Amino acid sequence: MIAMAIYVALLLFVWPLARETTALPLKILCALAPVAPLLYVIALGAQRILQSDELEQRTHLIGLGVATAVVSVFSIVGGYLAASRVITQDVAALILLWVFPLLIFTYSITRARASRHYGTVGCDEDSPLYQRFLWAGAIFAAVAAYAYFYKHDDYMAGVATGMATAFALSALLLGLRYWSRRRRAER
Amino acid sequence: MNNRLRELRERHAWSQAELAEHLDVSRQTVNAIETGKYDPSLPLAFRIARLFRQSIESIFAPDKE
Repeated sequence: MIAMAIYVALLLFVWPLARETTALPLKILCALAPVAPLLYVIALGAQRILQSDELEQRTHLIGLGVATAVVSVFSIVGGYLAASRVITQDVAALILLWVFPLLIFTYSITRARASRHYGTVGCDEDSPLYQRFLWAGAIFAAVAAYAYFYKHDDYMAGVATGMATAFALSALLLGLRYWSRRRRAER
Repeated sequence: MNNRLRELRERHAWSQAELAEHLDVSRQTVNAIETGKYDPSLPLAFRIARLFRQSIESIFAPDKE
């Protein structure tokens, strides 16, 4: 969570400097700054998979397989649309920025479903899915507030507000399901 | 695949967590094997057999066709 907060901070405060900076090394440094926390998250994920047992590794594999397929389709659709100039290069670049978040999102959902199939709870024991969705919603809400009040960027504020609302509603639904299951299990 | 894991575990008066600790797997994996939702790998099946001092085929049996 700390790594993702650093990622958002770098994306909001350091990455935009790449467009304004003229020195090429500094420009590259600013443009690639958000990649560092992502690499850290990937390393943590790999470490966790290596330490897990065979059933957990299977659910990780199912999650990664489905996520890879979904992201590949998403990317190839974006690639074809950009190559045939149906969408502009700016939109194509925006699509590429969403590849990693979509991968993680699809992986989390698929892995949770695979875990449930085997009668296990995945990561839900230490952090239920609705809590993680709430955190994601809070981060997007912070981005929306920053975009609206400081950057005065209506487009960015609109996108972030939409994402925050989607995550908050999903968290609400997942939370209700979580509590109803717990109540049923306690009976 | 049918198995006698629950029966053997209860004979030793172990909880799923205790058995999981002996086998170096998660409690969820023990539960999934006991409920027949997951078939263990050969190395894990050997570990289970060694732990209960029984042969693999006396613990695991294929489904009747």
